[in-house]
Amino acid sequence: MLFFNKNKRRKAEVALSKGGVDSISYWAIVKKQFQKNTLAKWALRVLMLLVFIAVFGDFLANDKPIYCKINQQSHFPVFKSYAVDMGLAKWPAELVNVDWKDLEYEQKILPLIPYSPTDLDLRNAHFKSPFDKQNVKGMRYWHWLGTDELGRDVGSGLIHGTRVALLVGILAMGVAVLIGLFFGVLAGFFGDNGFKVSRIRLLLNLIGLPLSWLLAFSARKYQIMETGNFGIEIIKSIFFFSLILFGINLIARLVERFSFFKKRVSIPLDLGIMRFIEMLNSIPGLLILIVVLAILEQTSLVYLMVIIGFISWTGIARFIRAELLRIRSLEYVEAAQALGYPRLRIIFKHAIPNALPPVLITIAFGIAAAILAEATLSFLGIGIPLEKVTWGSLLTEARKNASAWWLALFPGIAIFVTVTVFNLIGDGLTEALDPKMREQ
Amino acid sequence: MFRYLLKRILIFIPTLLVISLIAFGISKLTPGDPVTSCGNLGGQDKTYLNDYFAAELAYNQRAQSLGLDKPSFYFSFTSRAYPDTLYKVLNHPKRAAIAKLISRYGNWPQIDHYFKAIDALEIASYQIPQSEVKNAKIEIRKALSQLKINYNDKRVNYEMKALQKVFEKDSLVQKYVGQESKALFLAYDQMRNQSSTSKLFQPKFHWYGFDNQYHIWFTKFITGDFGYSCQDGRPVKERIKRAIGWTLIMNIFALILAFSIAIPLGVFSAQKRGSRFDKWTGLILFVLYSLPGFWVATLLVIFFTTPEYGMHWFPSIGLGDTSTDIPFWSRFWDRASHLFLPIICLSYGSLAFIARQMRGGVLNVIQQDYIRTARAKGQSEEIVLWKHAFRNSLFPIITLIALVFPATISGSVVIEYIFNIPGMGRETIAAIYAKDWPIVFTILLLTTGLTMIGTLIADILYAWADPRVNFKK
Repeated sequence: MLFFNKNKRRKAEVALSKGGVDSISYWAIVKKQFQKNTLAKWALRVLMLLVFIAVFGDFLANDKPIYCKINQQSHFPVFKSYAVDMGLAKWPAELVNVDWKDLEYEQKILPLIPYSPTDLDLRNAHFKSPFDKQNVKGMRYWHWLGTDELGRDVGSGLIHGTRVALLVGILAMGVAVLIGLFFGVLAGFFGDNGFKVSRIRLLLNLIGLPLSWLLAFSARKYQIMETGNFGIEIIKSIFFFSLILFGINLIARLVERFSFFKKRVSIPLDLGIMRFIEMLNSIPGLLILIVVLAILEQTSLVYLMVIIGFISWTGIARFIRAELLRIRSLEYVEAAQALGYPRLRIIFKHAIPNALPPVLITIAFGIAAAILAEATLSFLGIGIPLEKVTWGSLLTEARKNASAWWLALFPGIAIFVTVTVFNLIGDGLTEALDPKMREQ
Repeated sequence: MFRYLLKRILIFIPTLLVISLIAFGISKLTPGDPVTSCGNLGGQDKTYLNDYFAAELAYNQRAQSLGLDKPSFYFSFTSRAYPDTLYKVLNHPKRAAIAKLISRYGNWPQIDHYFKAIDALEIASYQIPQSEVKNAKIEIRKALSQLKINYNDKRVNYEMKALQKVFEKDSLVQKYVGQESKALFLAYDQMRNQSSTSKLFQPKFHWYGFDNQYHIWFTKFITGDFGYSCQDGRPVKERIKRAIGWTLIMNIFALILAFSIAIPLGVFSAQKRGSRFDKWTGLILFVLYSLPGFWVATLLVIFFTTPEYGMHWFPSIGLGDTSTDIPFWSRFWDRASHLFLPIICLSYGSLAFIARQMRGGVLNVIQQDYIRTARAKGQSEEIVLWKHAFRNSLFPIITLIALVFPATISGSVVIEYIFNIPGMGRETIAAIYAKDWPIVFTILLLTTGLTMIGTLIADILYAWADPRVNFKK
């Protein structure tokens, strides 16, 4: 009997996954619709170019040659520098701390722009325009987009800034998606009446959360902060934290046998989370970003990404909530519930995959906003390591000298293009995913 | 309607409370010593250098005047290892060091003993006659002042060794402070050896009551007392009062400009859907929407406010100097010429957004049945559009105020910085560069409050304008 049951269930499952919404053809439709939109199609191509520049930035703009031959010996300095950075190799003695531009080469292949973004070309310092007379060895070394006050090449800065911008945009949104998904699913799938726990479990968890925080994190503050192995200790703490919570829920399960404690209370998750989102939305985003970053004593791109992620998840959570409110009353979810699947499985296997497509739109717009936020912050010089060359930091240089139009123009164009690309993709997705548009 | 309003205002209060908690929490995380980083103690430090007790007294007075001698919150939930009265240690680095030591050893009595031993040695060292061993005295005090604020083993051992060296070198010093120094070494060993880390795992809840830093700060904030600026010691209120005016003027003008251009633009492009006009405005609006405000502002500043490119059409950035005895209108025009570019920068983003929304709204309404009815009735296209479609598509636009207002407030931070307008935004950036936290947190809370009021007004307008909106729920 049991076996039969299982078999039946598996069959139903296969049918469910096949018949859900023809998943392959759905994406095919979306893709087709997206391709129809010429602007969006081109935006996607430009995005690919930007990603290419971001990934291969070191080969496009670098003070080291890609390939060179010195004293009959072949070198691949750009590759080598990767290995050295990872600690896998060491520079040969004659190449330690050399000025790559002054070396005598027998053969060489230079990158497109033979300058690294932090390279100070002192002969061309103090704002050399692309059309000025530049003091360079040859046209190959021309600063095509000019230099800034310290003689850094603007073109090289733009190429390396691409990596920073895309990294911040995409990773910040990654953080936002994780948080937004969590809250959105809680609010949307469970609603105000869907999440029911027994009295005792609620009570024990309310007590247990601060308690396990105290035992796992506060009490181990010394081990975490002062012993020098932050990573391992924090993982240990998280493990203890979950262990205690698990134990508490185990106890709750035992006590649940008494009928008084067994009575279930529903937690209005939707109401609570929506209020919370409303609250967060009334804090001006850029302002809180600036304040939090100013407080941190160290500046790092990681902090920037995480904080942008933490303030921009509300849109995603709202979208997912709205989608799940719709989905949870659809037949296939009801069918899955009728088959007796555990709730987590329904959420992860059936509800979330179908709620995700509209979220892509928010992600695209969100990346644009995050890139804009990063550029604004580096423009203001808050929260970004000073030595990092970014589009915003290049744009700030323009404020020092009004005649340096190239410093105002090129970084701005880079920011504008990237932001527009993501906005166009977002627009394209909106149209492609809209069923009303599809029928036409 | 009234009930709805009441409900909204009731939500308003907890929101403000939570945000004040967040702001207070962040303000407690600001780096550095709040006593010395804020206030003019730095200048007086030198005169106190020779007189340790006077310096300490001044420090404590300063801390008290900042209200730092109170517990920070209504209650604390920590482990039993921490004493309830830790907040009474006014010296910030010293308190941090004590807390770190407790988190390591968990034995407050021994730690207390150790710090008392340091104090005793310090007092005893004053009895060493100046004439005989001057260097020793200075070295002892140097080491002790480091011991007070350091918790890391290496550093403490280093200072302990330095102390020992002084004692070994000079037998005279031994005579005066021998006992105390022995007590200190003993106390240090005791603290290290008699640790009771198990106490760290025993939870303890302590209620401090209403006389705490948060309560005082927040009640003062509500009554309009925002504290004092760290930069010049003037009340924050005074500084913000001047700044908020400029920000509001700029933002309100920017919003009026945005709405008054965007609404007709949206309606016309919806009316001529698919025409060349619609396509071009659509493209231009999209480009405007994606143009980063700070870039446009930088470009405008560079090209139009400097004589560099021959387009010096606007006065240079800032508000300029206008004395009050010039006639009102010329002053007005002068100000307007200074504010024109920043207002443009603030408004074009919202303009593009609103126009796109308006176009969508009108298109949506045009498909409704009552429009078809109106057309069937033989109404002219103009009347259909302006009397029926336009009015009904205007309602959702009202709610956009709630979306656009916080965005312009945020946006004006950078725009004011670039155009050097003395508003809240520039004040914020300047305060952050100067680490003037009282101003920063006041502005954070005030702008949040403003945003919430904006949202509330938009909601009320919506309810008032559209009778279909049901607020009984």
